[in-house]
Amino acid sequence: MESGERNAHTSPAGAMDELAQATARPTAQKAARAASSDNDAGRLTLDNVSARYGAFRAVKDVTLAVRPKSVTALIGPSGCGKSTLIRTINRMHETLPGATVSGSITLDGVDLYSSNVDPVRARRVVGMVFQKPNPFPTMSISENVSSGLRLTGGTSKSEIEGIVEDSLRRAALWDEVKEKLNQPGTSLSGGQQQRLCIARTIAVKPRVVLMDEPCSALDPVATLKIEELIRDLAAEYTIVIVTHNMQQASRVSDETAFFSMDDDRAGYLVETGPTAEMFTNPKQALTEGYIQGRFG
Amino acid sequence: MSISTGSIAKLLTEPTSGERTRQRVNLVMRVLVGIAAFLAILPLVALIVFVVLKAAPYLVPSFFANNPLDTEPGILNAIVGSLQLSGLTVLISGPIGIAGGVFLSEFASPRVVAIGETAIDVMLGVPSIVAGVFAYLILVPVLGFSGWAAVAALSILTLPIMMRSTQEVLRLVPQAIREASLALGVPVWKTALFVSVRTALPGILTGVILAFSRALGETAPLLMTARGTNAENWLDFSTTMNAMPIVIYQYSNAASDLLIGQAWATALVLMTIALTINVLVRGRTVNSRTA
Ligand SMILES: Nc1ncnc2c1ncn2[C@@H]1O[C@H](COP(=O)(O)OP(=O)(O)OP(=O)(O)O)[C@@H](O)[C@H]1O
Ligand SMILES: [Mg+2]
Repeated sequence: MESGERNAHTSPAGAMDELAQATARPTAQKAARAASSDNDAGRLTLDNVSARYGAFRAVKDVTLAVRPKSVTALIGPSGCGKSTLIRTINRMHETLPGATVSGSITLDGVDLYSSNVDPVRARRVVGMVFQKPNPFPTMSISENVSSGLRLTGGTSKSEIEGIVEDSLRRAALWDEVKEKLNQPGTSLSGGQQQRLCIARTIAVKPRVVLMDEPCSALDPVATLKIEELIRDLAAEYTIVIVTHNMQQASRVSDETAFFSMDDDRAGYLVETGPTAEMFTNPKQALTEGYIQGRFG
Repeated sequence: MSISTGSIAKLLTEPTSGERTRQRVNLVMRVLVGIAAFLAILPLVALIVFVVLKAAPYLVPSFFANNPLDTEPGILNAIVGSLQLSGLTVLISGPIGIAGGVFLSEFASPRVVAIGETAIDVMLGVPSIVAGVFAYLILVPVLGFSGWAAVAALSILTLPIMMRSTQEVLRLVPQAIREASLALGVPVWKTALFVSVRTALPGILTGVILAFSRALGETAPLLMTARGTNAENWLDFSTTMNAMPIVIYQYSNAASDLLIGQAWATALVLMTIALTINVLVRGRTVNSRTA
């Protein structure tokens, strides 16, 4: 049953191929095809990424390789540009007036910022879960999950029904909502709403899932549920998560990237490494100070 | 310094002289504010009582069922005309106004928004007589005294109302909802339509209904365009139409007790419709807020 579900989920005409088709560059296409055929799909590479709000540079020259099918935690003091950086990966940053991005972000060899990649496609391949649960208030639970599929088109009604159940199961919410799929999504508790948002995100079959402090509005029990979920999802998705909670970073992530701010408030990457190493034996004094202070 | 239980009881119950003054000031203020509120409501109450008393004798079935030239005259053609004129006005200016509001809220750059909002402010400030003069001098020579000219004049007045109300309710849609949709890979236009507008739809419809009620009560532009007629006109907007405000204006100058009475009765009908709409709309907004 597990493998059957998985096959249904990772259909041959996957989102990555879609993205690659949108890319005219033959080399990128080849790279994408090679990558998507192998189990290593979902490799994210940030190269010299800077992000600005107008003239203000909030993120400065970040170069970071994110391992596929793993959880990478972004940590660092408030205002150091973690949210800004994560929003450059699914091209949400540029939707704000005056916001710009430079550098390159590639997913399995395809530059997400190349002129041939439609930002709308990029966002379908790179999903995002926000800090505050934000279900669509006019939609029922099941409509919320299917919203991405229905609004982007190309999925039949019968398929959608299966995907809704599958996504809710993956988001560990099915048992709690299967009796009331037609009730408003906003009728759920905060933690359930956040899992609903995760279900909604994975229903469109992204390759990468970004999460910006997904548990900060939740109680400890709901938080643990979502952390478990993140670990499960990491078997299939590349996950990048921003968190202020060091215990959480150490529980869920394989790799940790620590960010800080320089004098003109531009955020930069201090160091990155396997999470266990970062927490026990960081190379930079700055990292050590932050982590120790946070564990306090 | 220790405080005994007795002194605490005293502290709680025995008013100081300052407190006594405060209580007296409170009382005076409450009475003054009460009087002010009463004075504000008085004209409204007087108006309603007056209209109802004056109108009551004339509210007979024939008043609603017949036209002005019938042996037992009524204002059927004016009720019908008012509903048609306001209805068509909303049908025409509604989609345009809503589209404009959606454009300003969801698509326009900040610069365009600033220009658009100024334009709306200017249009909202256009007195209805000016819209009437415009229609009278520009449209009536071409279209003649007609429903179309009236609808054009009324639309000038309702268009900015609808744009503004649409824009304002869309502004209440949380940005997080739009971002959620965009982050799912939904194109901007679909996000605008199926997420933002869908979420704001009850409020947008409320705006349409209020614009309808505004159009119902407009008088000056109608006198200069639809002109009024004794005939019953169904859907022929190319010729004159009757409307309740026209009836009220014309009958109240008449030298007949019956017509003056019917002016009062028509006023009551118009007021009742407008009031009902407003109450219904209030119910809607309260419902959608608590939902
Ligand atoms: N919409 C915006 N317009 C202008 N500047 C912004 C905007 N959003 C964030 N910034 C600025 O960019 C910098 C980085 O903000 P960002 O939200 O990315 O930080 P963060 O690391 O996510 O902080 P936190 O941990 O508090 O969420 C801050 O200096 C902030 O003031
Ligand atoms: Mg943040």
